[in-house]
Amino acid sequence: MDKKSREDGGEMMLILKPKFDFEVSVEAEITPDLAEKSLDEIKEFKVWYGKEVKKLKDLFEIKKEGDEKKIILDGDFSKVKWIGCGMTEGEIIVKGSVGTNCGAYMKGGRIIIEGDADDLLGMEMMDGEIIVKGNAKNLIGCPYYGDATGMQGGKIVIEGNAGNYIGEKMSGGVIEIKGNAGDFIGIEMKGGEIIIGGNCGFVGADMKGGVIKVKGKCDILPSFKRTEEGYVGDVNVGGEGKIIKI
Amino acid sequence: MHHMLWIKNGIVIDPKNKIDGEKMDIFVKNGKIVEESEVKKDECKVIDASNKLVVAGGVEMHAHIAGSKINTGRTMRPEEMRVVRQTANKLRATVGRVLLTSPAIGYEYARMGYTTAVEAANPPIGSLHTHEELDAIPILDKAALPVFGNWHPVLKFVAEKDFEKLKAFIVWALERTKGFGVKVVNPGGIEAWMYGKNCRNLDDEVPGFGITPRDIITSLIRANEELDLPHSVHLHCNNLGNPGNYQTTVESIKLAAGFKNDKRQVLHVTHVQFNAYGGSSWRDVCSGVEDIAKTVNSMDNVTIDMGAAIFGHATAMTGDAPFQFVLHRLLGAKWSNKDSEIEGGAGIVPIMYLPKNPVHALQWAIGLELGLMVDSDKVVLTTDYPNGGPFTEYPYVMAMLMSKKMREKELEKVHQYVQKATNLPAIDTERTLYEVIHMTRSLPARILGLENKGHLGIGADADIAIYNINPNEIDPSTQYEVIDKEFRRAAYTIKAGDIIVENGVILKETWGRTFWIDARSKASPEIIDSDLNEFFNYYSIKRRNFGVKEEWIRNPERMGVR
Amino acid sequence: MEAVCTFCGNVCDDVEFDVEKQKGKRFCPLGLSKFQKKERIKSPMIDGKEVSYEEAIEKAAEILVNAKRPLLYGWASTVNEAIRLGVILTEIVGGVYDQCASVCHAPGTLATIEEGLPGGTLGSVKNRADMVIFWGSNPMEAHPRHPTRYSVHAKGYLIKDRKDRKVVVVDVRRTRTAKLADKFIQVKPGYDFAVISALRAIIKGEDIEVDEVGGVPKEQLIELAEDMKNAKYGVIFYGLGVTQSRGRDRTVENAIKLIQLLNRTTRWIIWPMRGHYNVVGAGEVPAWEVGYQYAIDFSRGYPRFSPAEFSAVEMLLRRDCDAMMVVASDPAAHFPRKAVEHMKNIPVIQIDPFPNLTTLLSNVVIPSAVAGIEAEGTAYRMDVIPLRVKKLVDSEFWSDEKILEELLKKVEELKG
Repeated sequence: MDKKSREDGGEMMLILKPKFDFEVSVEAEITPDLAEKSLDEIKEFKVWYGKEVKKLKDLFEIKKEGDEKKIILDGDFSKVKWIGCGMTEGEIIVKGSVGTNCGAYMKGGRIIIEGDADDLLGMEMMDGEIIVKGNAKNLIGCPYYGDATGMQGGKIVIEGNAGNYIGEKMSGGVIEIKGNAGDFIGIEMKGGEIIIGGNCGFVGADMKGGVIKVKGKCDILPSFKRTEEGYVGDVNVGGEGKIIKI
Repeated sequence: MHHMLWIKNGIVIDPKNKIDGEKMDIFVKNGKIVEESEVKKDECKVIDASNKLVVAGGVEMHAHIAGSKINTGRTMRPEEMRVVRQTANKLRATVGRVLLTSPAIGYEYARMGYTTAVEAANPPIGSLHTHEELDAIPILDKAALPVFGNWHPVLKFVAEKDFEKLKAFIVWALERTKGFGVKVVNPGGIEAWMYGKNCRNLDDEVPGFGITPRDIITSLIRANEELDLPHSVHLHCNNLGNPGNYQTTVESIKLAAGFKNDKRQVLHVTHVQFNAYGGSSWRDVCSGVEDIAKTVNSMDNVTIDMGAAIFGHATAMTGDAPFQFVLHRLLGAKWSNKDSEIEGGAGIVPIMYLPKNPVHALQWAIGLELGLMVDSDKVVLTTDYPNGGPFTEYPYVMAMLMSKKMREKELEKVHQYVQKATNLPAIDTERTLYEVIHMTRSLPARILGLENKGHLGIGADADIAIYNINPNEIDPSTQYEVIDKEFRRAAYTIKAGDIIVENGVILKETWGRTFWIDARSKASPEIIDSDLNEFFNYYSIKRRNFGVKEEWIRNPERMGVR
Repeated sequence: MEAVCTFCGNVCDDVEFDVEKQKGKRFCPLGLSKFQKKERIKSPMIDGKEVSYEEAIEKAAEILVNAKRPLLYGWASTVNEAIRLGVILTEIVGGVYDQCASVCHAPGTLATIEEGLPGGTLGSVKNRADMVIFWGSNPMEAHPRHPTRYSVHAKGYLIKDRKDRKVVVVDVRRTRTAKLADKFIQVKPGYDFAVISALRAIIKGEDIEVDEVGGVPKEQLIELAEDMKNAKYGVIFYGLGVTQSRGRDRTVENAIKLIQLLNRTTRWIIWPMRGHYNVVGAGEVPAWEVGYQYAIDFSRGYPRFSPAEFSAVEMLLRRDCDAMMVVASDPAAHFPRKAVEHMKNIPVIQIDPFPNLTTLLSNVVIPSAVAGIEAEGTAYRMDVIPLRVKKLVDSEFWSDEKILEELLKKVEELKG
């Protein structure tokens, strides 16, 4: 389908708006690639509503303007899971809060969440950018249970606060929490960087490499050795990870 | 269920009855193979097996498919369980990469044309759990082998050289656990592990008992043979997983000398691949198969199974607890352990076999060497699932055994270390279909003492597999891809006369029988009654609550002894 | 009559109970109170009206089949035979299966996923353990006969006397169990994780640069580390003090790493003090049936595991279920208030012998026979040892197994 500009020069994108308050969660593996498809194809896109398979049009009002790889999720998407799963390019903007597993396995592109993010954000992320204007919860940039590596690249920024388990088994990329965070920041970290603007709990447990920068208070473990900049460890794994006070 | 079946014009390979590629009809009635005269042909359900291979259903004689350590393996490896095989419809959903859920185990064996499976190592106090899991496996007939080699009563009676009590204990234990035979895992070594040690050599002392693995193995063989149980002692040798261990294996095999049984072997040594390493360290480790094969081939009363390694994911799970700890240290992997009362133990460690890793390539080659160098009447095809890899790769192993060309191609993809460290590249032997069917059907059935399994003679259980292979036209040496493909998906799998699989698709879910050995006619547990009461002081449950009642098992099948 | 107690994870199998006289032998007070007669749910009910079993089951089946996302929760106080039917039922209705561990010992399962579980049975402890540590666990109150039957006073193959064993309690306060210990170590709440990191470092031979960790003086930590290294066979029993306080699964994981380290030079095991008598079964049965122990979603026709999403509390807090079935459990009493709020918005089915707070929220109530007294079945003790719980007396109430069997049949009928 030919790309056409709008006559008024406005933005081109796909806009989805929930048709009603969802009773149970919706699983919609929506990526910006969807915006390139025809309106009919988009309407038929399969999503899960509880145990029922539905079409996107059953649950969302769909407005398509052009083929640009940009999706606006307009409304409360806090019950919608797996947004941006595996995306490689383009942009998703959530004008509200978003559900769990947002940005899982992300390889590129950008997700902006204007509200809050739920658990399991940017899990096993490889590249790309996730920005949360509100707060996030637990499990950010971690591996799914039993997998060996968490975030490998890209950038996650939380403007507000976050919960527990951030950057577990991280090997690359940057996670920045501007507010406070919980426990287990950078547990078993191998590389990459985590920045905490506020206070947090236990940092760097069993860290092998990488850098954690903390502005506020945090709980340093006894298995770390003091250095000029902060601490190095975790001695329990012969690690050379750095914790730096900023 | 179809009351009567007529499998027409199939090309039968039935080594037990010396049938090698004969076109013949098979008749089934009431779950048994019968004479033609027994059926009313016009009432039969007819299966047109023209140009197809007809064989007995496969017999899995050693796999870890049910019980506490299998379940802990699943629990600790969600990365394994995430692979989805089939979504729920009329049948159960099935998941698992190499580790599988119980329904998946039943379906996957059945699709491959296997109809009987034996759990290789049952911790006696956990028998009820083992039977619950066996009963969650659909379709197959099954059994479980309780472990004896580190059980305190065994160690005590061996120390006292009291064979009457040892026999009585075996009989009592098989009845209580509803077990099928005498399994021995690293005899003495697990007891030693309770002290942080191991028994790697046959003459190492078992702490606290003043006996050796040699004593345990020979005593159990003697007791087993005096009882003349259907299956022989089934041994997981000491020193598993260590370079140079082939010598321990050869010595262990020789312990069978002097014993004789007219129906079967007196010693079955299991997953020999893991016990067939030469050299002295991981730097010079090489194949020890030559000596082992020579020894086994020279004896007429010993059998083995391969324990072949398959490239890809696997999980090491055995009753060999000290070995599992060593593996955890070697690999830096997660590790589960379960010391069990006064009976033994178990351990679990995730592993992966990579073709470009010299040691893994060696292990892979050794498994195949065993299948090629040991007489085909003495070696059963296994991967010691899930230790060596998935049982669903048996067709790959079968194809490899039958084709030098396929082996040459595969050898190009693996680390060149195997060129100098094993004989595999030089082996020209190509097994025939007859031999490979023997190694997967009639031989394991004979080894287990299951007279009605593994063959298609009159009176056999109607467990039959039909494949889209014409044995009289196919050349396995060059058509290895066809072999590998077709043995994965049976054209038909018939279980107890019921058509369960068609074209590799499960049609229905049925429930098989659980075989157990009742040898109480041979020895009465009376003579060990007070000993047992003594031992139960060391248990954490009461004697009256130890064991499994038949009525708790879905379809128990009690086998008496001759 | 010989019985097997169906109260806590000890599953004491040496007890006797006379149903007529209502007298027990060898029971602890907790177990005895379970076995003695108490108030029962008298009849199946739909919206408070008494109905037949068949009617209640039909209604329950309708609710489950029509729901978009039913949550089937509980399972820890019934037998494996019933749990298995529950798992299969959840698969068929495309719902979510979760069990009591998700609010107690699930952290142990997560830690097992990360590092494995270096463990052993209670018999191994009784026979060999010359050092026993209760960490965040108070058996004198939660598992009263554990010390005598298995871990403190129990004698065995190598341990002939209480003096042969060193008992240590690590906790945030001096518990009743601490009183029978040889040593008590007090940890500041929330710092178990750090204390364990310190122990690992010390045992590894590293010097820790601080004077105290979590309120525990460095000397005490060094002494404890020495004791652990010198033990011939040690065990850490941990409880809700660890799993439900700061750190949870990571604390357990850290303890497991400590045990791994100790096994290089001596023998140590670690084990959770499971609460309900068959909470282990509630996890083991789904593991073999569908691959996971709890928080399992079947909405796509196959099992998926995600505690953050599919644990019952998370499902309720997110208002992500439109129907709930509770078997042998009382979430209304134990779950956070906000989670219980959602239970009020959705149809709830309860299967239980005894009325509890959940009964008040339930639209369909189905009374069941008490396993271990009126119904037989298999349960797994805290160390996964299977025991057959007994039927001592007949009952007019249907067993959980029978109820679920009929429910499954009805559901299959409705689905066509």
